[in-house]
Formats: sequence, structure tokens, C-alpha cells
Amino acid sequence: MMYLLINMVSSFFATLCFSIIFNVKQKHLLLCGIVGSLGWTIYTIGEMQAASPVLSTFLASFAVAELSYFLAKAHRAPVTVFLISGIIPLVPGIGIYRTMYALLFSQYAEAQESGLIAFQMSAVIAGAIILAALLPLLFRKRRQKI
Amino acid sequence: MNEKNESILFFAVRLGEVMLRSGAETYRVEDTVVRILSHHHQFIHADTFVTPTVIMATVTDELNHASSTLRRIKNRSTRLDKIESLNQLSRDYIADAITFEEARDRVESIDATPAYSKRKLVLATAFSSGFFSLMFQGDMLAFIISFIIGVVVAHIQSWLRAREIVNLFALFVASLFIGSSVAILLLIDPILFNTDAIVVGCIMTLVPGVAFTNAIRDTIGDELLSGISRGVEALFIALAIASGVGIPMAAGIYLGGFIK
Repeated sequence: MMYLLINMVSSFFATLCFSIIFNVKQKHLLLCGIVGSLGWTIYTIGEMQAASPVLSTFLASFAVAELSYFLAKAHRAPVTVFLISGIIPLVPGIGIYRTMYALLFSQYAEAQESGLIAFQMSAVIAGAIILAALLPLLFRKRRQKI
Repeated sequence: MNEKNESILFFAVRLGEVMLRSGAETYRVEDTVVRILSHHHQFIHADTFVTPTVIMATVTDELNHASSTLRRIKNRSTRLDKIESLNQLSRDYIADAITFEEARDRVESIDATPAYSKRKLVLATAFSSGFFSLMFQGDMLAFIISFIIGVVVAHIQSWLRAREIVNLFALFVASLFIGSSVAILLLIDPILFNTDAIVVGCIMTLVPGVAFTNAIRDTIGDELLSGISRGVEALFIALAIASGVGIPMAAGIYLGGFIK
């Protein structure tokens, strides 16, 4: 439980500080932090339930993308404001590092494995964003011909 | 082509240019420019072609006189605040809430909005490095070390940006610094420091999140060319970071032969 709490709080502040680097407007900073924290919390819960990192990443980034589209509508802001900030914690930085580290010691099997996982995680984030963008399109009214 | 039409074209392209330089998705820029141009009914055609580094637009009036303009985009940065303000501006303009002259002045004032001060930027980079290292199972010591590395990384990046060094190279230099500090930590004591958390925490502030997200958003928006080029940009940033961190660590291995 303590572990989850540390992850929630630190991902909130990490994302909030990160949005400052991207010059997000002050009024959105708190929301960006919440979006990032939500994604990372879902990922951590998945990790604690021993789900594969790829599945956890998918669920987390889907939630982040869906919430970003909602917030963008509600605040009339470009969706990228929330989406970029929320996706950042999920980008497989650790996968890149592990791959590089294994390559340093010529452990090619391990490098291949962690590289593939990092690639899968990126692909799954892309899929989640596409899916989240697609859902509202399916439910919108058919365009009326004038 | 009369002067009024040309000034509309230049206004639209100028707005698109500022958007693209602030890191907007290509399809958003195209959409905005075409919307503004087709808001004026004297044009029978309004076309634009945008890639991450170039913006072109052509308008044709009822006498079949065409006029076009092209801008090359350099020095891209991520200014989500500018994108948001320009988005609002184009909405107001299309709703006729503001006049053409007002809109033209507002683009310039938005372009001149200052970013967060350097002190805030340094603190933000340092704190996010620290908190990212906590997220990857770092302890308090890892937080403090990442914080210090984050301060230096922020200074390196703003120093290089002020000299208009290419972004990719700035990222490479920053990750060289991260790699060498960690290599030194490993040479001092390979067990005491949680170097995994420190490295990951620090490189998380450099990872290509914007390029990656924009690549996907552009591909969804049917901008295949921009999607591919941004995807390649993200890949090269990842390679630059990995090699930047890896080279000093490899050197450390040959010098001291740390085993972890």
C-alpha cells in the first residue's frame, strides 16, 4: 500500500514539473499532474497484480488518452496539453536503458528481450491513443447533408 | 491578387508558423490555416501543405490569380501555452468575434509571450528527475542525486539552446553528462547507489514524448508524411539518449571494471 502511495504522489509531482518544461499554462498544471498520476497508478496496480508490463501500459495509456480527450473538450484546450503530459511517465525510458545496459555487457539475448518489450510498449501506447480517439467518432451523429 | 488577399494569406501562414514552431501537430496546423483561409469567401481554392519543418499555402481568387507563400521552420520548441492561445485565437476569428487587424496583432503578442523563467525551468527539470527516480524504485539518496543531475542537465540544455545548437545534439550532450556522472558513482561504490533509478529518472526528462505523441496524432489525422518523420525523430532521440548514456558507462567499465 505504501508502495502504491509513493508511486501515486511521485508521479503526480513528476508530471506536474514536466508540464512546466513544456510550458503548459498555469491553470492546467494541476490537471496535467492528475492525468499523469492516474496513468502511472493504473500501471503500478497492474504491476502489483503481476500483469505483463505491456498490458498494464495499454490500460494505463488508454485511460490517460480517454481522460485527456474529455478534459480537452471540457476546458476547450488542445488535447496535446493533457495527452503529452499524461503519456510521459509511460514512455518506456527504462526499457531503452535496460537494452543499452545489456548491450554494454554484450548480453545480446537480454538486450533483445528488453528492446522488444520497450518496442511493444510504445506500439501499445500508440494503439491506445488511436482507440481512444476512435471511440467518440463511432458514437457521434451521422453528418447531416444540407 | 490584391493586397488585402495577400495580407490574409500572410496572416494565416504566420499563425501556422508560430503553431508549428511551438510543437503543434501537423494536421492541427493544416486545419487551422485552411479554416482561416476558407473563412474569406473571395478565395475559390485554399490549399496548404505542412510538414514538421516547412509550411506552404496557396490561394486562388475568382479571377484565377494564385498567390502562395512558403516558410521554413527552424528552432522548434515545445510551447503548449502558445498552441492553446493560437487555437483560441483561430476559433474567435472564425466566429467573427475579432477583426482581422486585432487577430494579426494578437498572433504577434502570443508569439512574444515569455516562457517560464529559467529558474522555474531548472527547478522543474530537477524535481521531475528526482520524482521520476522515486517512481522507478529509487530511495531518498537517488532522489537527491537525480535532483542535482537534473539541475546541471537543465543548465546544459538551456546553454546549448541559447546557442541554437540542434536539439538532437543538445540531448546527446545532456545524456553524456548523465552517463558520466553515473559511471563515476559506480566507480566510487557500485552497491551504495541505486544507479538504475538515477539514470532512468534523469533520462525521463529527455525522452521523446512530444515527438512520439505527435507522430501518432499525425498518423491518425492522415498526415502520413509527418507521422513518419516525427516517428523517425522519436527513434533518433531515443538512440541519441541511449548512446549518450552508454558511451561514458562503457568507458567506466574499461577503466574500473565495475560489476553490478
